[in-house]
Amino acid sequence: MARKSILGLFDNADSAADATDVLLEAGATQDDFDVLTGSPYPEGAFGEKDPVHHIYVFPIIGALMGLTMALVLTAGTQVAYPMVTGGKPILAFPAMTIICYEGTLLGAVLFTIIGIIFESRLPRLRLDPYDARINEGYIGLLVTTEEEKLDDMERALIRGSALEVVHERGRALRG
Amino acid sequence: MHESHHVVAPSYLDMTAQEITNDVLKRHHSPGNQFWTIAMILGGLFVVGLVGLFMLIADGFDNKSAWGYYAATFGYVFSLSQTAVLVSVALRMAKSHWRRPLARISEMFAIVGVYSFAMLLPLLWVLPSIEGRRSLWFEWPGNTPHIWDTMALGSLVICGLAILYFASLPDLVTDKEVSGKSDEDVSYHPLIPHWFGAPKHWQLQKIVLGLLGGFYFLMLIIVHMLISVDFAMALIPGWKDAIFPAFHAINGIQASIALIIVTMFILRSRSSLGKYLELEQFWALSKILLATCLLWFYFWWSSFFTYWYGRMPAEIGVLKYIMFETYSTVFLLAFTMCFVIPFLILVVNVVRKTIWGPTLAASVILIGTFFNQVRYYVAGFSVEDHTLHVLENLPDFTAPGPIDFMVVVGGISGAVLTYMLGTRIFPIISIWEIKEGLMLQRVRKFMKRDIRVLAKPE
Repeated sequence: MARKSILGLFDNADSAADATDVLLEAGATQDDFDVLTGSPYPEGAFGEKDPVHHIYVFPIIGALMGLTMALVLTAGTQVAYPMVTGGKPILAFPAMTIICYEGTLLGAVLFTIIGIIFESRLPRLRLDPYDARINEGYIGLLVTTEEEKLDDMERALIRGSALEVVHERGRALRG
Repeated sequence: MHESHHVVAPSYLDMTAQEITNDVLKRHHSPGNQFWTIAMILGGLFVVGLVGLFMLIADGFDNKSAWGYYAATFGYVFSLSQTAVLVSVALRMAKSHWRRPLARISEMFAIVGVYSFAMLLPLLWVLPSIEGRRSLWFEWPGNTPHIWDTMALGSLVICGLAILYFASLPDLVTDKEVSGKSDEDVSYHPLIPHWFGAPKHWQLQKIVLGLLGGFYFLMLIIVHMLISVDFAMALIPGWKDAIFPAFHAINGIQASIALIIVTMFILRSRSSLGKYLELEQFWALSKILLATCLLWFYFWWSSFFTYWYGRMPAEIGVLKYIMFETYSTVFLLAFTMCFVIPFLILVVNVVRKTIWGPTLAASVILIGTFFNQVRYYVAGFSVEDHTLHVLENLPDFTAPGPIDFMVVVGGISGAVLTYMLGTRIFPIISIWEIKEGLMLQRVRKFMKRDIRVLAKPE
């Protein structure tokens, strides 16, 4: 069954928070809607569920990979081109530590960037309805559900005091 | 009655989210003729600097002392620009509310990091091989430290740009949406239409900014160490000071705070951003600036007295070279302008609690920091024989010539120009953070005065 999205617009946060209850009463689940805002609200302010993500795994994997690469690179180079200096061991750990530190951080940074892109699902295959007024202080309730339930959800949004229900992307209304 | 003169009314931005969005974006899209006039002048000076650089390259890379002022300019641009990003990172971690208007001003310096990375590249050809001389790297095979310094600075630049991009993403989306651009518009980054401010997006953004901020801090300190050791300390025979890299970083932190204060002052007076950049931001930063002035002295003193009491020939040679004989004038200028003058300005509370006071102190620090870089980098590059263990015969002072002036002025102008052009891509005021701040604070009556009430969700 194809899923479609509609966007309910609210001019204040309280109405939007109340409307989430109306949506739940109308048969929507927490997974069926997202609250869109132009600035971050305190987590849970709209009664939304805690987003699930695994972002912390990415820098750990990246750091381990970076460290491994740096160890292989540094130890490998010294073993391949052995130079004994002042009777010191072939593997110069103080110098290796610096490169391993660099490699670990570089890996962590790169994987963190990959992590946010992946976990935020960017770019998305489908662009949902959006309205520029969200960036000017309005709150959007984006409902994604089966096509047959869409009318019920639209009615729920209107019942929940939505000022307008947007069906298409690309509207950029001003003032 | 007397006390009432010292009561500062809580600053509160009396604007709606829509007004903030439209106001910042209007200024973002219409910087004004003065902006482009200044950009053209800076562009001209940058070209002069490029000519100077080509003249240096034409003379070859063997005469290292000719590159001293270029290295000092690189050290200056690197220290200021890369460390400036840390101000936003640290204040965001501390969850301070007053940092909101200056967050983007600080993060925008990540763009200048690309410029400082480009400045590093010619120096890699000038930096002598570690063969036969003391360095951080022992007898490491290959192009050490060249490749590792490049990798370290490159990683820092990538991290800084990522912080800038993900911190700006909501504002880039706002810019696109409010300007009514279509999703297919190629002037916007492809990720922008796909980021729409869902709770998960905001949460991930917050976490990632925290993670990248932590990595940035960890990386910045080691890059300060590598640059200061490889391009200054290791080039001067007998200089083995464990405190110097930390001192270099502290000077960078001090100068970058000063840089942000001066940038705020310019934006306030030239871009009519006074309603966002108020006394609160200057006052708060001036306290940290005062602390860094004291830290500057503390680190310098710690570094100095171990050499002073040690009195080994190598230590005496270093002190004479970079402090008391060859570069004594430069050292005195740096000492006075990085510590004495700003300390005397900022220690007075009445002056600190103004906009002009911290700006004056910050301007002096920015000049003093340049002199500080000169006494390290020019002194380092002026030594002929880096394989010595003791500086027995002090090299002469390298006075700046016409090419040096071209490189210094052009190099710094290029950095300022890069920053200015960055403001054409990213709004200089973080719209979403200002809006979030407004949502979390109110001014309420408390007995006979107004106080600001801040909400702390966490």
